[in-house]
Amino acid sequence: MSSFAVLAIAAGLIAAAVPTRGSRTHRLSLAAITAFVVLAIGWLWPEGAATAPAAAKEAVEGADTSPSILLNLLIGVPIGGAIALLFLPRQMLSLVRGFTYAIFAVTFLLSLWLLSVPMTDGWHFQYIADWIPIAGIRYHVALDGISLWLVVLTTFTTPIAAFASFGSIDKRIKELCIAFLMLQGAMIGTFLALDLFLFYVFWELMLIPMFLLIGIWGGAERRMAAMKFFIYTMAGSVLMLAAILYLVWTHHELNGFWTFDYLALCQVVLPGVPGTISPQALCFWAFTLAFFIKVPVFPLHTWLPDAHVQAPTGGSVVLAAVMLKMGTYGYLRFSMGLFPAQAAHAAATLAGLVIMFGIIWGALCAWKQSDVKRLVAYSSVAHLGFVMLGLFGATTSGIKGAVLQMINHGIATGALFLLVGVIYDRRHTREVSEFGGLAKVMPVYATLFVIVTMASIGVPGTNGFIGEFMVIAGTFVSERLNQFGPIQAVAAAFGVILAAVYMLGVVQKMFFGPLSNPKNKTLKDISPRETLALAPLILVIFLIGWFPQLMLDRMDAAVQTTRLRFVNTVLEVSPNPKAAQAVPPGVFSESFLKGAPKKPSADPKKKKVAMRPTKRGGAK
Amino acid sequence: MLSQLTSQFPANDFTLLAAVLLLPLIGAFVCGIFGKRLGKEGVRLMALSAVFGSFIASVVTFIMVAAAPHTATKAARLSWKAWHWFDVTGRGRSVVPIDVSFSVDALSATMMLIVTGVGFLIHLYSTGYMAKDEGFYRFFAYLNLFIFSMLVLILGDNLLVLFVGWEGVGLCSYLLIGFWFDDEKKAAAGKKAFIANRIGDFGLLVAMAMLVYYAGTLSWDGLEAAQSAMAEQRTVWSASYLREFPDWLVWLRDLVTPEQPVRMMVATMVALALFIGCIGKSAQIPLFVWLPDAMAGPTPVSALIHAATMVTAGIYLVCRTSFIFALSPLAMAVVAGTGALTALFAASIAFAQTDLKKVLAYSTVSQLGFMFIGVGVGAFAAGFFHVITHAFFKGCLFLCAGSVIHAMHARVHDETASQDMRNMGGLRKYMPITHMTFLVSCLAIAGFPLTSGFWSKDELLFKAFTNTIVPLNPNIITPPLWYGQMIYAIGIVAAVGTAFYMFRAYFMTFHGDFRGWSIVAGFKPPAHDDHHDDDHADHDEPLEGPVPHESPRSMTVPLIILAFFAAIGGFVYAEPLHQVWPLEMFVSLEHFWSPVFATASKFVTTRPGSEAMMWPLLGVGAGVSLFGIGAAYWVYIVQKGEPAKAFVARAGGLHRLVLDKWRIDELYDATILGLIDAMGDIAAQCDRWIVDGIIAKLTSGVVKVTGHALRLLHTGRVQVYAASMVVGTAVIGWYVFTPHAEATIDARRVRPQGQVRFEAAAGHGYRYRWHIDGETVPDIFSGRRNFSMQLERCEQKTAVLTIKNAFDREAVTTYTQCRESKPGCCKPTDTPAPKKEALLGRVDGGVR
Repeated sequence: MSSFAVLAIAAGLIAAAVPTRGSRTHRLSLAAITAFVVLAIGWLWPEGAATAPAAAKEAVEGADTSPSILLNLLIGVPIGGAIALLFLPRQMLSLVRGFTYAIFAVTFLLSLWLLSVPMTDGWHFQYIADWIPIAGIRYHVALDGISLWLVVLTTFTTPIAAFASFGSIDKRIKELCIAFLMLQGAMIGTFLALDLFLFYVFWELMLIPMFLLIGIWGGAERRMAAMKFFIYTMAGSVLMLAAILYLVWTHHELNGFWTFDYLALCQVVLPGVPGTISPQALCFWAFTLAFFIKVPVFPLHTWLPDAHVQAPTGGSVVLAAVMLKMGTYGYLRFSMGLFPAQAAHAAATLAGLVIMFGIIWGALCAWKQSDVKRLVAYSSVAHLGFVMLGLFGATTSGIKGAVLQMINHGIATGALFLLVGVIYDRRHTREVSEFGGLAKVMPVYATLFVIVTMASIGVPGTNGFIGEFMVIAGTFVSERLNQFGPIQAVAAAFGVILAAVYMLGVVQKMFFGPLSNPKNKTLKDISPRETLALAPLILVIFLIGWFPQLMLDRMDAAVQTTRLRFVNTVLEVSPNPKAAQAVPPGVFSESFLKGAPKKPSADPKKKKVAMRPTKRGGAK
Repeated sequence: MLSQLTSQFPANDFTLLAAVLLLPLIGAFVCGIFGKRLGKEGVRLMALSAVFGSFIASVVTFIMVAAAPHTATKAARLSWKAWHWFDVTGRGRSVVPIDVSFSVDALSATMMLIVTGVGFLIHLYSTGYMAKDEGFYRFFAYLNLFIFSMLVLILGDNLLVLFVGWEGVGLCSYLLIGFWFDDEKKAAAGKKAFIANRIGDFGLLVAMAMLVYYAGTLSWDGLEAAQSAMAEQRTVWSASYLREFPDWLVWLRDLVTPEQPVRMMVATMVALALFIGCIGKSAQIPLFVWLPDAMAGPTPVSALIHAATMVTAGIYLVCRTSFIFALSPLAMAVVAGTGALTALFAASIAFAQTDLKKVLAYSTVSQLGFMFIGVGVGAFAAGFFHVITHAFFKGCLFLCAGSVIHAMHARVHDETASQDMRNMGGLRKYMPITHMTFLVSCLAIAGFPLTSGFWSKDELLFKAFTNTIVPLNPNIITPPLWYGQMIYAIGIVAAVGTAFYMFRAYFMTFHGDFRGWSIVAGFKPPAHDDHHDDDHADHDEPLEGPVPHESPRSMTVPLIILAFFAAIGGFVYAEPLHQVWPLEMFVSLEHFWSPVFATASKFVTTRPGSEAMMWPLLGVGAGVSLFGIGAAYWVYIVQKGEPAKAFVARAGGLHRLVLDKWRIDELYDATILGLIDAMGDIAAQCDRWIVDGIIAKLTSGVVKVTGHALRLLHTGRVQVYAASMVVGTAVIGWYVFTPHAEATIDARRVRPQGQVRFEAAAGHGYRYRWHIDGETVPDIFSGRRNFSMQLERCEQKTAVLTIKNAFDREAVTTYTQCRESKPGCCKPTDTPAPKKEALLGRVDGGVR
């Protein structure tokens, strides 16, 4: 640990020396960011193989130590901060901004606390309270190794997006801050909610700030884009709501009590045989369509380029980095968790779909765009195709690679949007043809752009490669994809070539060649503020590229559980075309079912039940 | 001394590799970030000391590898695990750990010496060559980064770490080709190189995925041990894959699936996938097109990356994974065949080129082909030895070319003109050192007896003639016996070509009269130095200029060192000589490397009588080179190039075709690239108009139209509302006025007990009358809605429901039911209801 402290100081000193002409604050901030990243590596570094079995033994006790209030704080602090902002005067810009930064800092530090607990099997930081007892709706939040990283990604990228926005937006700052804080709170809530009602509330809640972000601070066509974004997502969510209600009703028919809890609904197998039209298939597709729209998966993706092009830089960063992950996360958690048989049945076909129309079609479309932001938006379609492919394959490394790729995409594409924002702020255009030879006048900017490009196309040593490789290797070995696994792995690997084609094409057109456009001759290189926004992202690109195990270790248990639950449910529950059935006891592990609702006892007065971890067991 | 080192750096924790690797990385970092502030001297010091430090560490490593204990079959391997990188899932959910670890054995130790040694010389050369460039620091940052990546490639202990270096060198190559990025063409050449390499990387990715699955490991030791898994036969394509096809697509399935499942050996698939990577990186047919374009980069880059080191990575990879390749005679034949074709094809292009660097570029492609011949016929050591001698002579040739271009730049600033051999000539007088070193290297590449190229090229062609690959079992596809001889014949033709076009270049550059400008003693460059004027070497007024100058010492010293090795480097291998004079103290490189190839060489045999063939074939090799050189001498010195001009005049079309590189680039543009481009256009337009059109625009349009239609009704005129109210009331009133006789039937008990229950639908003011058809009709209507009917076996009855509503209007419905206790006993009825319907209690009848 102390050696890492020394390393951190050294790295900080080097980072402070990097800017050629930087102010003291700029140098100090860079040094702090770098030292912090190095310290984080040291902190997360595995202590050695010897302690690993010991950590596994603590599987049960480990959960005990987790303070259950933490997740409430993570959701509550940003939302509370947004409410508190209402009472601050809008004229005092620095106060408003400072307050927002403070809230972001608190949330980020809180999310780092999550990393201190060993991510063993089961749920952590679980907190349960009754909300609407008459309908069995509870406030149930909990964390596992998968949502952990998505929460950290949220608390990591939202501040960067807000920071970048403050540099380019100068109207309605207070509303902007409120929107960002609400957005963050809602996104964290979505990743943490284990009650489907609560999940739905957060899912819809996060739409509103993003709708405002695009609609108020966006480009010329912002209203249309905001509406398109909203209606697309809404259409999916309404379907999902219907499916949730059907599922809850079926659970009530089976078990005699109302609940919206994920852990309880997981155990309901709706009537239906895979491959036929049945309640099970309809509910699966209702959920899945909602998530596919969000991901987005072809052919539901056309809202994304419009939304990205019109959204302000900060909005694009959050949209790409976090919001798209709602779809992939939702598919992993809910579509695969609630309807494993359907998900398994559809996997091979869907994998073919995302390869053909996500990875390859998306890449081809990206190649032909003339607007840089549109291009990056289409590249998101291709990248998320890899994520979905990993999920469809449902092997350990496939799912891990998919989760890692969610993070990677957030980092790399977020950085790309920031970079596009930099040039947009200077020239107010994003047409590739307007540029050329920028490397001459903006060398630092060009360098950073090339680095992020390399991460985006998955050059080894950057984060993108690890995720892609794990997904490809996972696809190759997948049993879920039947005999098509190898063929699909090859096709997905082909997408790697196309990624190089479109990204390098745009790099060449923008940065290389003669500096022909006179408007570009006086452009200023990237400003200290912009480098500060990018520095953490670029450091993380290399951090994940070289030390992915720091993340993979912590998601291991959760991925194993998810995969096993998925596979076992498919294996052990024989499909019944007519009647709903319950998953037999023993399929789901004890630690997974911790906190599942029980049939209410005769004592209705007891309103609030904060689950102590000692009260284990579930409805079986 | 050595024992101290050994205890300091044990074989399983050989941290000295960290020094080898990290020094160039630090150099790259410092030059790249702080280079501008350090100034040229600082950058020079940093970059040179980083690579030189790495070279020293490599020498120490080499000595330690040579001294480490090894047997004839087990190579000494010093390894260092840096940290655990990540895990992937293998077959049957096994965990395949992947470490960031490095190792060095005889093969990589040699390669490491070449990379750092030649790398250092080229760094040194570059400090002179690039002295006036404003991107000096950037250049050395990239160059150091390249050395680092190349070392990662060589030292990686598993395929994935190798892949990091593999893509890393590709990236550096991209950055360095496009180093002068304000020229669009150079930037485009960089992109082309990167994408061609990416196509190769795709193969490597697939190979890694296969290895994870089949072998369950990616580390060299693990793969070597996994030979049984490699030898498995696997079904790769069979009709059963598509059994879930819908009926209307069956014809397609029959079209694409063979009768018998296609089976392939794992080793073949893996080796071919790996070889795709090699094709991309080592510029073989069909992906060689990027390498000639890559000459757009600064000349030292061409020497280091595109001649001496990076492009030979493909051969290194085949040697590294020789135990996989050797298992599959088919893959080996593909490797050798591709190599032979490339050797010949590239040589043919080199005949007509007038750009000095282009000649060298195609010669590189051709020589790489020779190397693949070597490794493809199982002569791994010979093939790899050609990598090393090639690094010397081709590195030297490129640096000489750079030296010449440097001199030409005194008056000719245009890129193309300064590299055009038609503007050179007679330079041997003015540049004696460059001339001598160029000549030596030319002799070496032409295979002049006793030079390094002679020994390596002769050895691998000899092996091509004599070697055969023994299949593991007779079911494996093997090439025919004459295949080796055919490769040998192609190789000989290509070797003649090599000698000819290299000496053509030599004579055109260094002999004859200087054609660049008219030399004026004591020439002073014009003060305004009008570039525009100088851009065209062949403009009307003859250009005047100074005496062409020899390059500075920092450039000539590397030339001399490289030429020295190009001349005598062959003796460290020189297999025939070692057989004649076996020297105890002087071990041949082949012997040094043999443990590395021990597993692979089990599959390689020589045909009988090959021992006797050695000297005759050696003679053929020497004769071939002398013939090529002599022919060039005759054409370009004795006849002053007349036969060449006559040939051009006679076969102008062919000459133009060759000059245009057989128009391969154009072919690719028209076919594959055009196809992908069209696909991109189609995708983008479809996405915009069809996908978005249907999903977003059409749905929104439908909603909009519906909204418009409905809006028409909401005009705000009270009269319209009143009228619609009247119409609506009338419709509802008519419905209420009419009785509706409907009932639900409960026929669940009709079969066991013969009972059918009816329940008439309720309505306002309804009264009901039930009776059975044919029985007496009761007079009274009552409020009783329920009715039941008893049936005997096979009996059929009809219930009649009459309803009277508040307006005394009547409606009648009949329900026919049958108790089918035996199948078919309900058939004869006047109402031909299907029996099933009757059973299920469907309504049979209507409002009368």
